[in-house]
Amino acid sequence: MRGRHYALKNISLEIADKEFFVLLGPSGCGKSTMLNLIAGLEKPTEGEIRFGDEVVASAERRRFVPPRQRNVAMVFQSYALYPHMNVFDNIAFPLRVAKENSADIEKSVHKTADMLQVTDLLKAKPGELSGGQRQRVAIARAIVRRPGLFLLDEPLSNLDAQLRLSMRTELKKLQQELQITTLYVTHDQVEAMTLGDRIAVLKSGGIEQIGTPDELYSRPVNPFVATFVGSPPMNMFEAELTFRHVDMLVKIGSTLLLLPDDLADRYEDLETGKVTVGIRPEDIRIAGDDSASMTEATVETVETLGRERLLHVTLAGQRLAILTSQSGFERGKKVALEFNTSRLHLFED
Amino acid sequence: MPSYSHSDIKGALGFTLPLIILLTVFILIPIIGTIITSTFKDISFLQKRFVLFDNYARMIGDGRFWQSFRFTLLFIAVSVPLEIILGLAFALLLNRTIPLRGLLRATVLIPWAIPAAISAKMWQLVYNFHFGLANYILHALGFSAEPINWLGSSASAFIALVIADAWKTSPFAAIILLAGLQTIPSELHMQAQVDRAGVVRRFFAITLPLLKPALLVTLLFRTIDALRIFDVIYVLTQGGPGGSTTSLSLYGYHLLLSGDFGYSSAVSVALFAIAFVLSIMYARMARFSEAI
Amino acid sequence: MSEERVMSIISGVGIAGMTLFCLIPVGYIIAVSLSSTPDIFSQSMSVTGQNYADVLTSENLHVLAYLRNSVVISLISAVCAVFIAALAAYAITRMPFPGRMFLLFAVLAMSMFPQISLINYLFKLMTDLGWINTYPALILPYSAWILPLSLWILVSYFVQIPHDLDRAALVDGCTRLQILRRIIFPVAAPGLLATFLLAFIFAFNEFMFALTLTTDFHVRTIPVGIALFQGIHGETPWGQIMAVSAISVVPVIILAVVFQRRIIQGLTRGAVKG
Repeated sequence: MRGRHYALKNISLEIADKEFFVLLGPSGCGKSTMLNLIAGLEKPTEGEIRFGDEVVASAERRRFVPPRQRNVAMVFQSYALYPHMNVFDNIAFPLRVAKENSADIEKSVHKTADMLQVTDLLKAKPGELSGGQRQRVAIARAIVRRPGLFLLDEPLSNLDAQLRLSMRTELKKLQQELQITTLYVTHDQVEAMTLGDRIAVLKSGGIEQIGTPDELYSRPVNPFVATFVGSPPMNMFEAELTFRHVDMLVKIGSTLLLLPDDLADRYEDLETGKVTVGIRPEDIRIAGDDSASMTEATVETVETLGRERLLHVTLAGQRLAILTSQSGFERGKKVALEFNTSRLHLFED
Repeated sequence: MPSYSHSDIKGALGFTLPLIILLTVFILIPIIGTIITSTFKDISFLQKRFVLFDNYARMIGDGRFWQSFRFTLLFIAVSVPLEIILGLAFALLLNRTIPLRGLLRATVLIPWAIPAAISAKMWQLVYNFHFGLANYILHALGFSAEPINWLGSSASAFIALVIADAWKTSPFAAIILLAGLQTIPSELHMQAQVDRAGVVRRFFAITLPLLKPALLVTLLFRTIDALRIFDVIYVLTQGGPGGSTTSLSLYGYHLLLSGDFGYSSAVSVALFAIAFVLSIMYARMARFSEAI
Repeated sequence: MSEERVMSIISGVGIAGMTLFCLIPVGYIIAVSLSSTPDIFSQSMSVTGQNYADVLTSENLHVLAYLRNSVVISLISAVCAVFIAALAAYAITRMPFPGRMFLLFAVLAMSMFPQISLINYLFKLMTDLGWINTYPALILPYSAWILPLSLWILVSYFVQIPHDLDRAALVDGCTRLQILRRIIFPVAAPGLLATFLLAFIFAFNEFMFALTLTTDFHVRTIPVGIALFQGIHGETPWGQIMAVSAISVVPVIILAVVFQRRIIQGLTRGAVKG
């Protein structure tokens, strides 16, 4: 609890050994709180946290294991490097606190520094390093003692876009090499999707969905997850669900979309009437002149994204975004649309 | 197993306990003890008797108490503004980018760093009737035909005290006000210069208003300190001549020495009460100026 | 003449005046201490080191004893005050507990109490404990007396140290005390130094407690020693008094000159936060 509000409510989560697990969500959703709880920097007011069979924090059983006994390591968003120590001492710090002997410490630090490519920075102080370099040192400090659990709190958000990309790949490689169970917090869904074995999407203190990147992308359980995951975000619009004999149809304005069988099975329990429909911009096509499509939309704006364009159109009074590699669109132009009906997502209102 | 939700508070308690104990034993309890003693008729070697407000009643009728009270108030009224004006002048000078700033600031610190007792002893020599520096300077500048008996008459003793105290305490005011000056962004002055405002105008329109918080802080600290003044007077004038420069602190101290613990406590409680009221008034004033 | 030039001249004069104002009295002390007679402008004046010789070698003047007492008592009090205040400042800034703001302001309030209101009780307490004229009689009240200012200054320094450093250290395996020792103290070293200097100066200069709670040269401090100074021959020995004064203020002046930046930093944080 924080103040009078619950930062996290009713969370139930299991992370597998050696898994790269991502906590994804907008700011304020409680993901950092979750990390702090697991690290032992905060205490749960209700419920239990377990590492394997060991209960590490439990409100009911009045048990709390402090951070230093939990064998976890953490990389903070601010890196939190000790400003008065040089890089070597920073990395060596956890080992010194654990009273290992200096010969071993020397070896471990050099090995880890090599792994993170910071060997030539060992004598420098944090203040002299760039953002990317500081981050490597923070990671080095975290993994130097081979923790059982590796926690990262938005480690890439303070880096510029290019660095972020290269660090992402490096982090993934590192985790696979070291085989440490990793819990990674971010608000950037691209990071989550590329790094995570599994992802938990959080909003306002609760878990919306847990799954592999693929599951989240193709089978989002609610509009929040649907629009949060995937870029450009999924289109959401209001439509009407009706039946015609055994067919299920989605009606937008004067357009009728026939649901393919697998979707009809999946959504057979939905009530007719108003429904929220989602479809990704890449799953709508601009129909050619020879198409039979009767769905006509008006172009509002065009965003150029390199070799593709993001068209913002209006259809039956609602906004849709369409990803297309065609060109020659301008405001006011009328375009015919074709929906890939097997990629529709229906959500109850 | 470490206990649950109390371990944080226990830890915090452990860290603050030495401070709490020390302050309680050597400041809180003494003040309470003094307040309690003030309700007793407690003169050394005599039997203690609980008399509640008798000491205070005596205080109200005590001419010497009121003399000390008037002196203390007068002292505050004269020395505090003087110190603040001097301090402000110094701060303005120190705020300019001049060579040897560090050395100058150290110079200004020196009067503050010297023990008050030593400073007072020195001023005692300065004001010495026969060969003191003050009379020598006055004579050299041709001001008076006769040397002044500084410490021998109430008015001059008062002036002597004010000067001695101001010398010692203006540096403190200067430091605080200098810090306040440095928070005023120089862009404001540059803008005003562009707007053709002269130095004097800039001072009153920009500097002074923005300096208000620092001035208030200095005012509060100096007033409370002037209220409790003791060291300088004890050494320089011993409260004389004839008790005319006795501050409330010194009066209480004389009573203490004479063994009249109960009454001495009452006087010091009165002083404490005045300081307390002033602090509350300041807190109110500070909150007002924040709201503005 | 342009306004700029006028200002330059005025400030030049002002600075000269300010410097003279601050230094002439000190110069006076030194002049008298080196003079054969307090009347330094008289014809019969001659420069001599006799005052210093008298003061430093004469046993019954106890000057060296006073100096020793002052330095030892001030050092111990300052170290105690800074250490105890640092512990509390750490708790206040990093271990949120109910009533910590109240504690801060209660401490501030206590610094407003006049010494005279405490001395009554302290005198009785020390007499009862048999501690009159012992080092503890001064060290303990001094430590308590310096605590409020020390606490406020240290809180203002600690508050600027990011909490993430503490969290990283906790995860890296430290206990709270270890964090204090290995992380906070090194990072806040300038603040600790400033606080120590101020504490030392306050303790060194303190007068009323020392006056009341000591009775002879074994424990008496320099300020009291000088205030009560009796020469060997009965008449006020100004030369010797100034010699002792000069000796006593030299260390403090050196501290002020060398550490002026730190001292000023500490003072302004303590006051402005208040």
